[in-house]
Amino acid sequence: MTTVEQQGTSLWQDAWIKLSKNYLALFGLVIIGLLCVLSVLTPWIAPYGYEEQNLLLGATSPSSEHWLGTDVFGRDMLTRIMYGGRVSLTVGFIATAVALLIGVLWGAVAGYVGGRLDAMMMRIVDIMYALPFMIFIVLLMVVFGRNILLLFIAIGAVEWLTMARIVRGQVMSLRKQEFVEAAHSLGLSQWTIIRRHIIPNTLGPVIVYTTLTIPSVMLLEAFLSFLGLGIQPPQSSWGLLINYGVETMEEYPWLLIFPGVTLSLTLFALNFLGDGLRDALDPRVSKD
Amino acid sequence: MKNCARLPLLFSLFLLMPTLLLSACGGGENNVDQGNRDGTLHWGNGTEPQSLDPHIATGVPEHNIITALMEGLVAKDSKTLAPKAGVAEYWTISEDGRVYTFKLRENARWSNGDPHNAHDYVWSWWRALQPALGNLYAYMYFSIDNAKEYYEGTITDFDQVGIKALDDFTLQVTLSNPTPYFLQLLDHYSLYPVHRGTVEKFGTADERGTRWTYEGNHVGNGAFQLSAWKINRRITVQRNPFYWNADHVGLNQIVFYPTENAVSEERMFRAGQLHRTSSVPSDKIPSYLETQNSSLRISPYLGTYFYRINTSVPHLQSKLVRRALALTIDREAITKNILKGGQIPAYAFTPPGTMGYYPESNLRFDPETARQLLAEAGYLNGKDFPTTEILYNTNESHRKIAVAIQQMWKKHLNIDIKLLNQEWKVYLDSESIGNYEISRAAWIGDYVDPNNFLDMFLCNGGNNRTGWCNAEYDYLIGDIAPTVKTHAERLAVFGRAEKLLMDELPVIPIYTYTSISLVNQAVKNYPSNILNKANYSEIYLQAEPQQMPLTEDQY
Repeated sequence: MTTVEQQGTSLWQDAWIKLSKNYLALFGLVIIGLLCVLSVLTPWIAPYGYEEQNLLLGATSPSSEHWLGTDVFGRDMLTRIMYGGRVSLTVGFIATAVALLIGVLWGAVAGYVGGRLDAMMMRIVDIMYALPFMIFIVLLMVVFGRNILLLFIAIGAVEWLTMARIVRGQVMSLRKQEFVEAAHSLGLSQWTIIRRHIIPNTLGPVIVYTTLTIPSVMLLEAFLSFLGLGIQPPQSSWGLLINYGVETMEEYPWLLIFPGVTLSLTLFALNFLGDGLRDALDPRVSKD
Repeated sequence: MKNCARLPLLFSLFLLMPTLLLSACGGGENNVDQGNRDGTLHWGNGTEPQSLDPHIATGVPEHNIITALMEGLVAKDSKTLAPKAGVAEYWTISEDGRVYTFKLRENARWSNGDPHNAHDYVWSWWRALQPALGNLYAYMYFSIDNAKEYYEGTITDFDQVGIKALDDFTLQVTLSNPTPYFLQLLDHYSLYPVHRGTVEKFGTADERGTRWTYEGNHVGNGAFQLSAWKINRRITVQRNPFYWNADHVGLNQIVFYPTENAVSEERMFRAGQLHRTSSVPSDKIPSYLETQNSSLRISPYLGTYFYRINTSVPHLQSKLVRRALALTIDREAITKNILKGGQIPAYAFTPPGTMGYYPESNLRFDPETARQLLAEAGYLNGKDFPTTEILYNTNESHRKIAVAIQQMWKKHLNIDIKLLNQEWKVYLDSESIGNYEISRAAWIGDYVDPNNFLDMFLCNGGNNRTGWCNAEYDYLIGDIAPTVKTHAERLAVFGRAEKLLMDELPVIPIYTYTSISLVNQAVKNYPSNILNKANYSEIYLQAEPQQMPLTEDQY
């Protein structure tokens, strides 16, 4: 038995191998990576200031000075989209991270402990589900004030519910499995078991759901900002740019098309990546 | 839209959404065609009204609805705005110009059939002067003898106020001074009568926000009566059979739509859902002008768009700061490049040419001086200037102006400005309780006289809302202007007061309005006037015949 020299591959190595064969997912990964790098570098590479107005110029279609045209205030669209990306991607990632943190912990504890605690925790989730979540966010924003970081957290705070349910379901099926029982009999603490055995085994669905949460969070931010509860002018985000673009789409279609294409591209990339990761991380799929 | 095909599916769905929504509510014949047949006018009203109580409402959207439901003693000609008979059939004015005697129509009725007479006016005006009611327009009554004293509590006996019912159909009003615009005031909703029985049925006379104005409860004396009020959807009024002139009313029904978004309103107009819009998105004006679209109507409008400054906010108390802010707004750029509807940059508060009055002004666009003033006020290059908030009611063009001004102040004064938008009712509340720093505001003339623009800034004026109070100003507008003999003298007093106002700048004028709307060709007898006042009882609908009309030389 011990003579076999073949090196075992870890879950991550397997996943990476499978992912690298999925070209759509790779494409998604590259796009997301590119957008993130661009967003980080924006303050240094943006051609203009995002708030620099030129009222005399007004809205102009794409030209050599303004590659993606200008908006009604004469602000460069390329710059605005780049800066908008910073906000949208930050909202997407931070709010999703908040949702991830709360959701995974909540679901894991509920599913693992079970019994009364589980029932209680899941009823809390049910109650929160029943709340019209838009009103809930609006209330949070009214109570805590209009602060961009709070906006991220508020969105995250309502997006964790589905995550908690998914994780709970996974955990419930896992905790009866042999390796968990083994861990038990070895005398590991509950917390260590959750951390070392349960959570890593729920990664697949969690990662997939995460990639789906990011775009929905971005759209939510646009809606809140439009209501005056999110980010405020002169700052902008993709969602806001699209909202304003819709209003003038007949006169100045480029104000809608470019931010629209950018957002769609991001959403597609995230979806492809999510699909790819799901396939790659599914342990039931055979290794070949 | 050739490039549509190249867009991803999700995105094109997104594009289609508004179109789908709009077509979903069409269902065969559109509102306009149907309305033309059955006499229903579909009116874009801009926003949901704050209240339909004439002694509480203050805004234009409310005004549009209240004038359909109620009528004053005197009405205005819809073209010339000259006073004409309303509920009063005729009136006489004493030689010294102080005593007005109105003879009321004996056939005037409330919309529930109750008789409508001079006592209604005595009671209604008594109600409007109850301080507990919180009538922001109470000062409209102050030209009446002792009305101000009564309102302020120095007189407690209402009999001493110059309002008397001589008999059932004769009302006598005594003024403290001859007031050239008094007849015009009577057409303003703050002087409309309310139905005593209805008001008292739902609360005490001076209780705010009772249910008397609600669907099913409201009783008025106008050409129309309230038939449905669906919050945020529509308000429907229908012909009032008891109106004294009901036989000559051309419409059966008016539906008011509270569409806040100018872009959707314009789309509704094009889809035949509205006969008239309350505004036109500024980006669409050039294309309407280019194609000479006859639906577009731009006309002079007696109104000023301005920023109110809350003078009780510490860093805005300084006159220098307010002046610095006023001098760094490039009004030309705003009217030409953002609004595009022929608006005139405003450098004084009263629109120029109001009854021959042309205010002088020392405002201009001068960032250099502004920076010096700001430095003098202790904020060299904007250093330490607290972040200041501009409040506006949710509306695309208010947002654009605020974004432009935010950047002008940032660029020229290096100060940080935040924007805050609120829905109309919330915005009105915030403004009137002084919960703002700088707020977008507009003043639309209630009557054509400079007094209407200047007397709102009296210390106790309900529409002042800036916390600004100046004894000399109060003296000029409150005591001198009403008593001078000639028109020229009056204008000179107004000039002095306005100079004072523009020196202190509790308000920063931005532009003089034009009224811009889209009006369907079927709407007849709806002339434009500088108060943009519609006389609904005269409007009628007549669809254009389908065939091409004869050109002039064929006649």
